[in-house]
Amino acid sequence: MHARKRKGAAALAVLAIASLAIVASALARADVAPTAVAAPNASCTGAKIGFMGPITGDAAFIGKEQLGFSKYAIRKLAAGKVKLVEGDTQLDPAQASTVGTKFAADASILAVVGPAGSQEVLAVSPIFKKGQRLPFISGSATRTSLTNGSIPNFFRVVPNDSVQAPTTAKYIRQILKAKSVFIVDDQTAYSKPLANGVQANLRSGGVKVTRNSVNQKVTDFSSLVSKIGDDVNVVYLPWQIAANAQIFGQQMKEQGKKAIIFGSDGVDSGDFKIPGSYISAFAPDIRAIKGNAAFVKGYGAKFVSNFGPPMYVATQAAVAAITKACADGDATRAEVQKNLKATFIPKSILGGNFQFTARGDVKGAKFYIFKLGAGGKKTLVG
Amino acid sequence: MDFDFFVQQLVNGVTLGSVYALIALGYTMVYGILKLLNFAHGEVYMMGAFAGFGILSVFGGALSLSINVVALIAMMLGVAMLGSGLLGVVIERFAYRPLRDAPRIAPLISALGVSFFLANSMQLLFGATPRNYNTFDLANASLYTKGFNVGNVHVALLRIITVVAALVLMMLLWFLVNRTRTGKAMRATSFDREAAAMMGIDIDRVIVFTFVLGSALAGAAGVLQSLRVPTTVAIGFVAGLKGFTAAVIGGIGSIPGAMAGGLILGFAESYAQGYISTKWSDLIVFSILILFMIFRPQGLLGRADIRKV
Repeated sequence: MHARKRKGAAALAVLAIASLAIVASALARADVAPTAVAAPNASCTGAKIGFMGPITGDAAFIGKEQLGFSKYAIRKLAAGKVKLVEGDTQLDPAQASTVGTKFAADASILAVVGPAGSQEVLAVSPIFKKGQRLPFISGSATRTSLTNGSIPNFFRVVPNDSVQAPTTAKYIRQILKAKSVFIVDDQTAYSKPLANGVQANLRSGGVKVTRNSVNQKVTDFSSLVSKIGDDVNVVYLPWQIAANAQIFGQQMKEQGKKAIIFGSDGVDSGDFKIPGSYISAFAPDIRAIKGNAAFVKGYGAKFVSNFGPPMYVATQAAVAAITKACADGDATRAEVQKNLKATFIPKSILGGNFQFTARGDVKGAKFYIFKLGAGGKKTLVG
Repeated sequence: MDFDFFVQQLVNGVTLGSVYALIALGYTMVYGILKLLNFAHGEVYMMGAFAGFGILSVFGGALSLSINVVALIAMMLGVAMLGSGLLGVVIERFAYRPLRDAPRIAPLISALGVSFFLANSMQLLFGATPRNYNTFDLANASLYTKGFNVGNVHVALLRIITVVAALVLMMLLWFLVNRTRTGKAMRATSFDREAAAMMGIDIDRVIVFTFVLGSALAGAAGVLQSLRVPTTVAIGFVAGLKGFTAAVIGGIGSIPGAMAGGLILGFAESYAQGYISTKWSDLIVFSILILFMIFRPQGLLGRADIRKV
């Protein structure tokens, strides 16, 4: 009798452990090593640019605006000579690896625009570095170390977090005059170093910082919100999913928390619209830049975040590099990468002339601070 | 950490625990009758959440709602329970009934297959984009701002609705199982299926009814949880695991046990997140499961499985 009982219990235990193993393996998918990539041949006929972005999923708002502007660039600048191939990454490193492997194996893809998140850039960089290196330009990945020289074929059209962290901390300290800040990272390769940077800057300025962390997949923040003390003036959320920041704000309201929310560039989308909050942004509102009226009118569709316009510039740089490489009727990815390094876009839609540094960053880029009003209306305040 | 913080976590825990308890009830009832772990149950919960979203959309969404909020929530719950109940019937009929006399591993694998089938079909149909009920925008955020206070802790109307609805459903279930003929047939089938059949009980009918009940409760849980947090096609897996854990903690096969297990799990998760870290809460929750498996495999209120040699 007892043996049977033990057997039953053991079977249940095995099932429970198996269930946990499935969860663990699902969570570990992001770390799966990429498979080998076939080396593509040099080609120019039917040249393509691969687009990588979160077209669906939690961050679809970002991906759709990025795709819209990439398509606009192709329509406006490629004159039918370069096509765009879409790859949906869902802001997931595992999905990004799958899309990246497909793109790397396609000889007609000479450059990639995207992916959106720093964790995705880290996931695809080993794939794009293999064989004939595939140059890729992110329109939103800001992790500082991405351009430390370890990914020579990587470029980005936005400033990095070595600019964002001090800009944010300075604003919180000097303008909002916060004495106590509650920081929550979302455990991603983007969020953690940015949170560390802001935290270090605030602490060095004498601000009390309480640090917390929550998985990006979590959407019930009740317990975390409860931890926000009455003395906290600002809650800093360096997150990638704006909808989560919105829920966090609503749950703060539910529990009567009065602190101001300050979101990073990742929450700069229409999904986050808590009035009185602040966000940092890696690009200006292009509608406010003199000379962009015709460009904005030509785009036609409505856009809310600052994620789209940089992708126009990324695609513009890729189209220019491919067009130049194809001038002799033939092109290789190496040529495209070389041309990208020499990119010069006069009077870019982001304001001023656009150039990359030797390491693939943007020359002279800066971060902007916006305050959100009713309905998420943004006002530039810093 | 002060007393208010403790109370706030208690409120969070009760809300979460009520939802887990509703999910756990489905696991425990099916296990009680069929000795089957229905791993597709989490997906039924997800379908309920989507059914609720469908009703909300039909009536204009949160920002331009065309009916009263109370009527809306009642309708969302009703439709989700009905839809999930029907789904439970279909799952039982096509995935489990043909395997009723097969070795126990066969329906278990079939359950996992149904789970993946439902999750992936939903992803194909509706994509991976989250669906948010946006209850904050309903009735000028009154679901969040109204309610009552316990000291300095605000208990929002939304949480009261969640807990009360779950409590009412659990009481109805208790009444049905303990005070009706159908309930008696369910208990008899759970005790000894063959003997119950010999006494004239229509076993197939009892099993189908059990699936309807369990699935309907999961559908209601899906709506109640989605009133507070967004839903995606992927929510079923983790919710299913938590429901299963709650059922095991309470004693799988025991209805009061599932209710208690759900609440314990809700408290454990909430206090772990509050006093330790959100990073470790799942580890703590599943460690409790392992501890129960080792030291009290029959759970809190489950019966020791006595068999004659």
